[in-house]
Amino acid sequence: MSNHEHHENTAHKPVKRSGMSRRQFLSYTLGGAGAFMAAGMSLPMIRFAVDPILKKKAGGTWIKVVEENKITNDPQEFKFNIHQVDGWYVSDPELSAWISKDSSGNFFALSPVCKHLGCTISWNTEKNNEYVCPCHNAHYTKDGKNLTVAPKPLDEYELKIDKGWVYLGPIKANTRV
Amino acid sequence: MAHGHKSNEKVVFVGDSRVRKRSGAPNTVPPDYSSYPGKSEAFIPNFLLKEWMVGVVVLVGFLVLTIAEPAPLGYPADPTNAAFIPMPDWYFLFLYQFLKYPYVAGDYIVLGTVGIPGVAFGALLLAPFLDTGKERRFYRRPVTTALMVLSLISLFYLTKVSWDHYQHELAKTNTIPEHHLREEKAREAAMSGKGGEEQQPVASIPIVDEDDPAMEILKARCIACHNPDLKGNESMKAPALRGVGDTHTKEELVEIVTNGKGGGAMPSFKEMLSAEEIDQVTTWLAKQKKAE
Amino acid sequence: MLKGVYNWIDERLDITPMWRDVADHEVPEHVNPAHHFSAFVYCFGGLTFFITVIQILSGMFLTMYFVPDIINAYKSVDYLQHKVAFGGIVRGMHHWGASLVIVMMFLHTLRVFFTGSYKAPREMNWVVGMLIFFIMLGLGFTGYLLPWDNKAYFATKVGIQIAESVPYIGVYIKELMQGGEIVGAETLTRFFAIHVFFLPGALLALLAAHFFMIRKQGISGPL
Repeated sequence: MSNHEHHENTAHKPVKRSGMSRRQFLSYTLGGAGAFMAAGMSLPMIRFAVDPILKKKAGGTWIKVVEENKITNDPQEFKFNIHQVDGWYVSDPELSAWISKDSSGNFFALSPVCKHLGCTISWNTEKNNEYVCPCHNAHYTKDGKNLTVAPKPLDEYELKIDKGWVYLGPIKANTRV
Repeated sequence: MAHGHKSNEKVVFVGDSRVRKRSGAPNTVPPDYSSYPGKSEAFIPNFLLKEWMVGVVVLVGFLVLTIAEPAPLGYPADPTNAAFIPMPDWYFLFLYQFLKYPYVAGDYIVLGTVGIPGVAFGALLLAPFLDTGKERRFYRRPVTTALMVLSLISLFYLTKVSWDHYQHELAKTNTIPEHHLREEKAREAAMSGKGGEEQQPVASIPIVDEDDPAMEILKARCIACHNPDLKGNESMKAPALRGVGDTHTKEELVEIVTNGKGGGAMPSFKEMLSAEEIDQVTTWLAKQKKAE
Repeated sequence: MLKGVYNWIDERLDITPMWRDVADHEVPEHVNPAHHFSAFVYCFGGLTFFITVIQILSGMFLTMYFVPDIINAYKSVDYLQHKVAFGGIVRGMHHWGASLVIVMMFLHTLRVFFTGSYKAPREMNWVVGMLIFFIMLGLGFTGYLLPWDNKAYFATKVGIQIAESVPYIGVYIKELMQGGEIVGAETLTRFFAIHVFFLPGALLALLAAHFFMIRKQGISGPL
């Protein structure tokens, strides 16, 4: 510390102002100015970076998949395309769903993605009326209930029937088991 | 600790024995400040506060600028676009303009790209070794100062000439810089209520009746501006011809082809095409509707 | 609590002298705009650094969305500017900051030149400063191409043509810059790498040298 600073301090001592010293005041102002600059330049950037979580999610759209009368009690696989806007990349990837009727005639659609490690399941490959995953031999019932290996039941698509057509919406957790 | 020091003992650092301790007082006070006693002050907080005050003002001004004036973005790069007037960023304009002068271009291009800039920047880089006098005041070292002032004047002059030339070219060819054009379009789209919604990309609009003999006339007369695939050329302000039947009736198309449009941007074809040919082309164009 | 952490680290690494040295050094009166208003010319160096910090930060954030690829570069810039919240501002900061940093550096250089501050013993710092200037121009040149719009494309073509006219080695410089025979996909990735990794790396090293020398030699005395 310089003599000059020291001198100033002693000169001020007799005054004994209450509150903060000059040096403290300067430090606080400095901190304030620094905080303002830091905030001024970084806040827009942070908002820019966290935009994905603050973006309004587009509500699920319904996609026409298949005629109602084609659905049987046995699950069948149906392919459909969704329109996907991924930032600047627009694509129409193909998804598939296993759609069937339960004993009381309600339609439901299951996602083919195994809840174990994400392989693709299919119906009745072992002739035991179960969904089977080829990777680690996970089994699910027709309702998607997990029997072996997998920790959770299969996901379900939102489903609605309109004018004889089956429409599928976004994926949700299984509601049937 | 491996030697069984008590853990609460203050660690004592032993200096690196290979480094010889400097004789004399430790050099804690930087040389300058002790030689200029006076109203000097500590870097933190006193001086830095003043610096940061300036910083705050600059930052506010800067943010206002970024909000008021969005960064320009034109249309995607198209190497075949011959109408585009190339322009380097402003701080390279002086060099760009300099190279246009005949005595540094053509046979003398080496002088222009390497010679003179090399000497100038080399001299600037090595200034302390060229100007070795003790005198620091600029008015007491006239040669150095004169050279610098001369370079500055030519720098500003060249930049200005280049910029004026560019503006002149723009006016002559009746071009609006792309990023302005694009912004205007976006504003118009927002005004007409289409804001935010994506327009159907022209490429996906199919050409109706592609084997029509009218295509021959189109190939000869139209595709130079409207692009061989009829998608238009935005920087030449030539609209897409795909889907043109949705926006214009046949009568309008006849009028445009016969008499031109947009102050000559679309030329008049009444000299070049016969009435039958115009009819043939416009009939075909009117059929160009988006498939439902 | 904070003091405890500080003391714990200080005990081990003896950090107090490091920041004390920066914090307590005296700044002479003649560069203090509060004493002489004309001393504001001494602010340009600090402001250049401030804008450089903004450039580095905004650039880091922009790469979260940018793709250096001729198909997607334009689309991603368009997306981040028009669809991402504050994208226009962050890209604006980087775009206008690039110009501002050149302006500030220019003024800083002129100040150093006309006050004769580059004279002994500060010759090396001047040379380092000039190298920083060239690196900044290089950053401006390589960054200009990245949005891949017409302006970027044709400006880069002009720049590369200028480089090509260097005798004997011009053709090689051209191909080296382009990464191929045309200004295209390989040019873009090359410019991206240079703009984002090579030049900033060199810039940081030179800045460190610049500041170290200022600290060691002090600000030049009054005229």
